[in-house]
Amino acid sequence: MIKAIVIDDELYAREELIDLLLDSGEIDVIGSCNNAIEGLKKINALKPDVIFLDIQMPQITGIEMLSMLDPDTMPKVVFVTAYDEYALKAFEDNAFDYLLKPVETCRLNKTIKRLKREYEAKDYSPLMSDMLELIPCTGHNRILLLRPEDIEVAYSDLSGVHILSTETKANTQLTLKVLEEKTPLIRCHRQYLVHPQAIREIKLLDNGLAEITTQYGYQVPVSRRYLKELKDRFGLS
Amino acid sequence: MELIFSLLQQLSVYLVIAYLLSKTPLFMPLTTVSGRLSQRFSCYVLFSLFCILGTYFGLNIEDAIANTRAIGAVMGGLLGGPIVGFAVGLTGGMHRYSMGGFTDVACAISTTAEGLLGGLLHSYYVRRGQVDQLYRPFIVFTITLVAEIIQMFIILIVAEPYDKALHLVSAIALPMVIANSLGAALFMSIIQDRKTIYEKYSAAFSSRALKIAQRSVGILSQGFNEESTKKIAKIVYEETGVGAVAITDRDKILAFIGIGDDHHLPGTPISSGYTRRSIDNCELVYADGHDMPYCCSLSNRCKLGSALVIPLVGGNNDVLGTIKLYEPKRKLFSTVNLTLGEGIAKLLSNQILTGRYEQQQILLTQAELRLLQAQVNPHFLFNALNTISAIIRRDPDKARQLIQHLSQFFRRNLKQNIETVTISEELQHVRSYLEIELARFSDRLNVEIIVPDELMRVNLPTFTLQPLVENAIKHGTSSLLENGQIIIRGYVFDNQLVLEVEDNAGTYQPVGEESGLGMKIVDKRLKNMFGQQYGLKMSSQPNVWTRATITLPEDKALQHNDINKIYVEANKQDHRNGENTA
Repeated sequence: MIKAIVIDDELYAREELIDLLLDSGEIDVIGSCNNAIEGLKKINALKPDVIFLDIQMPQITGIEMLSMLDPDTMPKVVFVTAYDEYALKAFEDNAFDYLLKPVETCRLNKTIKRLKREYEAKDYSPLMSDMLELIPCTGHNRILLLRPEDIEVAYSDLSGVHILSTETKANTQLTLKVLEEKTPLIRCHRQYLVHPQAIREIKLLDNGLAEITTQYGYQVPVSRRYLKELKDRFGLS
Repeated sequence: MELIFSLLQQLSVYLVIAYLLSKTPLFMPLTTVSGRLSQRFSCYVLFSLFCILGTYFGLNIEDAIANTRAIGAVMGGLLGGPIVGFAVGLTGGMHRYSMGGFTDVACAISTTAEGLLGGLLHSYYVRRGQVDQLYRPFIVFTITLVAEIIQMFIILIVAEPYDKALHLVSAIALPMVIANSLGAALFMSIIQDRKTIYEKYSAAFSSRALKIAQRSVGILSQGFNEESTKKIAKIVYEETGVGAVAITDRDKILAFIGIGDDHHLPGTPISSGYTRRSIDNCELVYADGHDMPYCCSLSNRCKLGSALVIPLVGGNNDVLGTIKLYEPKRKLFSTVNLTLGEGIAKLLSNQILTGRYEQQQILLTQAELRLLQAQVNPHFLFNALNTISAIIRRDPDKARQLIQHLSQFFRRNLKQNIETVTISEELQHVRSYLEIELARFSDRLNVEIIVPDELMRVNLPTFTLQPLVENAIKHGTSSLLENGQIIIRGYVFDNQLVLEVEDNAGTYQPVGEESGLGMKIVDKRLKNMFGQQYGLKMSSQPNVWTRATITLPEDKALQHNDINKIYVEANKQDHRNGENTA
């Protein structure tokens, strides 16, 4: 059975697609949600083989969500849309699989057949943007969309990836790797990213280590491996 | 005594020249004290000439000249100010000096002083804002009198030898003082006449032009046709007093009034070559009856002898038609009417254009209404069908309901020609719309409608609320991750009826967005119906709410008739009850 997650903001459309997928007998729908932020969480938690992804969704569209996924753990994607000329053309050009709403059963069956045949996820980079404009985060019972320039520090620990901004602390479903690639944040430690413009002070310690203090006062460790890069960057070596 | 008469004789010739000159445009600058450089300059030139003329017209006496030079100097100063006065006096004085005699220096000095004196009086009155005083002959008489007396003293003081000067002054003082003062006063009175005539003429002209403009306002806004042009022709005919007035379009006579209206009939094609020429070349054609004879092309018994044909020019220099003024053979065109004719043509052209513009505006509003109706359809229908398609297997009953709502929504949209509806009907329309949208956003949209019953019968333009609700969903709550909330409120505040559509997204962008068009149309239709102070306003607190507020007049909207009716019904009821008990 193929494990799938359905992400669509319209309840009835979501339910209908889930019904159709279950009817096929080939797909196990392990989760569903109504927006991209929930979607990221579900994907990270459930590790589906495939996601059925609606494009028109509030705040973060399906396409934007794609850029936030870690390419290493990228599931297969079947796009679902009612109308989006631009996106449809991109799907056609790159031979990405997509479904039109309302979903036709025979078209869906073809898609399922293809999913069974293909083992690897495609390279979705033609749809992805190089830089992210908003970073979805969850705070205390709320969802935040932070702009990368407001983020000072990102770090990971056992409980996930955390964001320290000028105003708040929050968690994000994005990996450090995605953040490093698609935001101005730079790596200073295996588990830490820092915004170069947020650095107020770099204190050099023994053993080739260092510690960064940000404008807002966060302390960030610098490992030996990244200190040289950091120095090079600021022309200090 | 003899000298007085001789001098007065000379003065007469001098004044005749002044009078003749006053008939020419040369005198125009003298009728106002504008203080402009051109006015000052013409004062200087003209009065310097008069100053010199005064010297030439003088009578030789005892190696000196009894003259009327002072008139030019004083007048120059009075009308041109101190600098001009000084310059005129100096010019006249230098000229006198060049002629020699024992009083040459004294005369030069005194003439300059007289010019300056006139100029100082000019400054005095200008500063006090009493420019009109300068034109009063009595004032001119007095100042010239003073000036001449001063001149006599200057001659006594400056001229050598003293006893010769004294003798001279005793001979010429009286004649010169009288002649100059009188002359200056008369000269000013000529200018004053000229001024009055000109002002009367322009007043008459303006009042006639204004009257035509005033009476013809709005007539042509109903269109450029026989009915409207007939009214215009009548107004022009009455106000100008010409023999006849005709208005044509490009092909035929639209209106004719006055002499010859027995054979110049509205509706007949244009036959006059002059009119054709005016239309084809877009030019004014004037057949004055002499150099260019006007001959009626319809009847040889026609009494009309001259015609002025002026094209009515619309935008892009298109000739829309002509207006024609006629005079009978025995009468000539007055210049006033010749000038007025062109003005009238311009006025009519503008009015025709305005009329067309207004008509287009009406068409545009109708088109906008259609647009508003059409705008909603494709996306909405598409989404609605998708939603129904998604529901139909799980919940066929719900799907059937939605199809009914959709059908209701479109039924109302098909009633294209209804201009106004009651709030109740409009809310019904909104509800049909909302049912579909609520199904689409079922788990994250909430709508509340709080409008009291007494407001339900109020009229407003069709499609006023629905676009606002649509906007609130499309650009507002649909961008929220959850808990979209739309509130439709109605209440009376500050003598206005207020309707609000509020969402909890606060994503309103003041400019741009194609949705702006829909909002603009809603606003415009409200303003058209109720007046400029009413309409639609958008307000927003970013990320908290966006509110579309509609205001309508309370009294007009609340339909007093209905309230009265209820009141009367109640009274009748009481009355009947009373009868019963009796």
